Amino acid sequence: MVWVNEPMNAIYGLFPDTNSARRALMALRGASSRFHLNPKAIVVMSSVPLEEEGFGWEEERTMMPWLAPLGALAGGAVGYALSAFTQRSYPLPTGGMPIVAMWPTGIIMYELTMLGAIVTTIVAFVIATGLPNYKKRLYDPEVTNGKILVGVSELDSDCRAEVEQLLYQDGAEQVKEFSNG
Amino acid sequence: MAMNDAAQANVIDFAPEKIRKDLLLPVFHTSRRYYALVIALVALGLPGMAVYLYQITEGMGVAGITRPVFWGFYITNFVFWIGISHAGTLISAILRLVNATWRRPVTRCAEAITVFALAIGAQYPIIHLGRAWLFFWLIPYPSERGIWPNFRSPLVWDFFAISTYLTGSLTFLLLPIIPDWAMVRDRATGLRQRIYTVLALGWRGTPREWHRLEVAMRIMAVIILPVAVSVHTIVSWDFAMAPVPMWHSTVFGPYFVAGAIFSGIAALIIVMALVRKALHLEEYLKPVHFDNLGKLLLVMSLLWIYFIFAERLTVWYGNQPAEMAAFWSIQRGRFAVLFWTMISCNFLIPFPILAIKKLRTIAGTVIASSTIVVGMWLERFLIVVPPLEHKYLPYDWGSYSPTWVEITITFGTFMGMILLYVLFAKFVPIISIWELKGPQHSQPIAEAAANATVNPAIRLDNTLPSTNG
Amino acid sequence: MAHRWGMAIDLDRCTGCEACVAACHAENNIATVNADQAAKGRTMHWIHVERYWEGEFPNIRARFQPVLCQQCDAAPCEPVCPTYASYHNPEGLNAQVYNRCIGTRYCANACPYSVRYFNWFNPAWDKPLQLQLNPDVSVREVGVMEKCTFCNQRILAAEIKAKAENRELQDGEVKPACVQSCPPTAMVFGDLNDANSQVSRMAGSVRATILLEEVGTLPKVIYLERESSHGNE
Repeated sequence: MVWVNEPMNAIYGLFPDTNSARRALMALRGASSRFHLNPKAIVVMSSVPLEEEGFGWEEERTMMPWLAPLGALAGGAVGYALSAFTQRSYPLPTGGMPIVAMWPTGIIMYELTMLGAIVTTIVAFVIATGLPNYKKRLYDPEVTNGKILVGVSELDSDCRAEVEQLLYQDGAEQVKEFSNG
Repeated sequence: MAMNDAAQANVIDFAPEKIRKDLLLPVFHTSRRYYALVIALVALGLPGMAVYLYQITEGMGVAGITRPVFWGFYITNFVFWIGISHAGTLISAILRLVNATWRRPVTRCAEAITVFALAIGAQYPIIHLGRAWLFFWLIPYPSERGIWPNFRSPLVWDFFAISTYLTGSLTFLLLPIIPDWAMVRDRATGLRQRIYTVLALGWRGTPREWHRLEVAMRIMAVIILPVAVSVHTIVSWDFAMAPVPMWHSTVFGPYFVAGAIFSGIAALIIVMALVRKALHLEEYLKPVHFDNLGKLLLVMSLLWIYFIFAERLTVWYGNQPAEMAAFWSIQRGRFAVLFWTMISCNFLIPFPILAIKKLRTIAGTVIASSTIVVGMWLERFLIVVPPLEHKYLPYDWGSYSPTWVEITITFGTFMGMILLYVLFAKFVPIISIWELKGPQHSQPIAEAAANATVNPAIRLDNTLPSTNG
Repeated sequence: MAHRWGMAIDLDRCTGCEACVAACHAENNIATVNADQAAKGRTMHWIHVERYWEGEFPNIRARFQPVLCQQCDAAPCEPVCPTYASYHNPEGLNAQVYNRCIGTRYCANACPYSVRYFNWFNPAWDKPLQLQLNPDVSVREVGVMEKCTFCNQRILAAEIKAKAENRELQDGEVKPACVQSCPPTAMVFGDLNDANSQVSRMAGSVRATILLEEVGTLPKVIYLERESSHGNE
């Protein structure tokens, strides 16, 4: 499978703790009009989830909690269809029970309901995160060393020096560039 | 001081770099002892496989099962392993849902037990088949030969339930491993780096990825709980649906689930203690974890004895001749030794150890757990065999004794379980590193600034050089 | 109306000679096992004769009861088979489809009468005994459950013959091997849906009982109690 790289010219800083990272992030957002930045181009990466105030965790939205029940319903329908239709097509009576016995069919429906919810969650996770994604993308292994990466993924070259200075001002330990163009 | 055991349990009061080093060490470094252990486990497990092939070629007659005891060791093992698999679900899912932070170092150990115990347990319905090579007929696939599973059969419910549970547990286990695999990827070189690059799926740690992961885990936690309850209930219905005296009991569903959680926590404690010793994780798996799990184990022990009492009282009071034959053979007859051993192992010995705080140490809980694992195996055996020995017509009563074939295969699967776990600990950090440090929760900015200098826990890093150098 | 096969066994006539057991073995290609296996309980007698002693010495009486698959209408062995190897056929028989059996042995556990038998090993007949095998009946391989089928091969043969001759089956025309071989004619086989058949009349007798009535399996083998037991209070 060929992962096609998107051309990118990025600059980012590595911050040692959440306070400096938050300062940098807020500064970048505040200066986004000055630097002609697309707010969506401001990226953050960390080795733990940042649920603190200021990182936008509470703004994250996803459809996943709604998709799982839908998947469950689909699974339940499949369970009913599987047991009812197939058993009615080739009816083999056993033990005086009806051909489509309610209680056992309920069990099959239940298990496939749960399986539907599970599979839907997996699929939704894959789609929502965009993983697996093996393209060469903006990333620095220092992130898993505990640093927080705050940067801009698309930047006009004339603003580069100013952004770099802003990042250093807010406490970046290193500022690096990333390019795969 | 015992001021705040819970708070103590999850405050990382040493550098995060040390956490990463300690927990990633087994992934990067393989000692000679490890190779020796793997080879030993394979050597001990292979006879089980060979004997199983012998059983397939010779016929089920080489086992001890006979008429009327058509199920024996294999079904006992099946129920036992599926029971053990309930460890992960309780710890991960329930504790995650109630936000019990002490669970963090323990979740991956537990989830791994679930997956592997399920994998081993799911072998037994195949091992015990008379024509094992046709096991796939339980799968509903279109066939021109008119083969179709019977959805009214509890064995087919087993197939659906265990497949669903295995899918769910694998998801529950693998999703949170992705960030840790990213951590390995960033430190690895050569072939290892290429493998973990693929495994890490390109994880970067953006807020979007973290958020989706957390949401997925929360959804999975809610889903996996009813699935786990249903799995062992359906396994119990393999027995309860048949009109065999002392099987046909409505209490079997809850009884088995309680027993499963009980044996699962015991297995978890044992595995945690072994992992702690072998991987030098004394600072991560602390006495407080064993203490908390010990308390849970105590509750389950009480619940178990309650179910035993309720079931036996009902049978004894009902005084039905067919049931009483099985009842007395368990309590006073052929199985009395096993029965009273079981009561001791599951209640009489663990109860004082787990109830008295002074005794609820790591060693104490491990001793209690070891007896419980033995006792729970005996409980499964006593559910399967004595009622089959005494069915309705006394002329057909019989007896069962296992042969070397069944014992060897049983032993082989125990070795297989340990081997799977040992391999797992090699390729995956056994304690979830990112969950250990925990998400950074909202706090006022001023307080965070003040804390930054006082409490190193907020810093994700310190000034020590990283291992990348 | 479809047939509904049933059997009546008059316990007053049964002498315990076990001719039925031998005939069943011969008709249905049932394997014999050696002494060790028999001691383990692995004999394969689809019909076996149970002997009970009644009374105190010197007034001892032996009581014999042939037990075979009861062909229950509410058979607990049928719903539990995961591959439909055990199901209820339109003529009321509890059919065992050897080709579908994967050997879970759940049906055998569920049967309250323990009349199901499992092939623990591949059956073998020393030469020249294999010549006596009945070509109308399959030989089951290892890992397959088997049990009394009311000699379904004889039922089918009679039905085919009757159809070819364009007539109905007569009562008493179909005789399973055990019924055929019984010297005192203690066993009677026939159509329970036919009110005039001998088995229906025997089923209506005041001496008629069924085994394990309280389990609710609705068996179609009716036992006529001995006059002496019935008469005693």
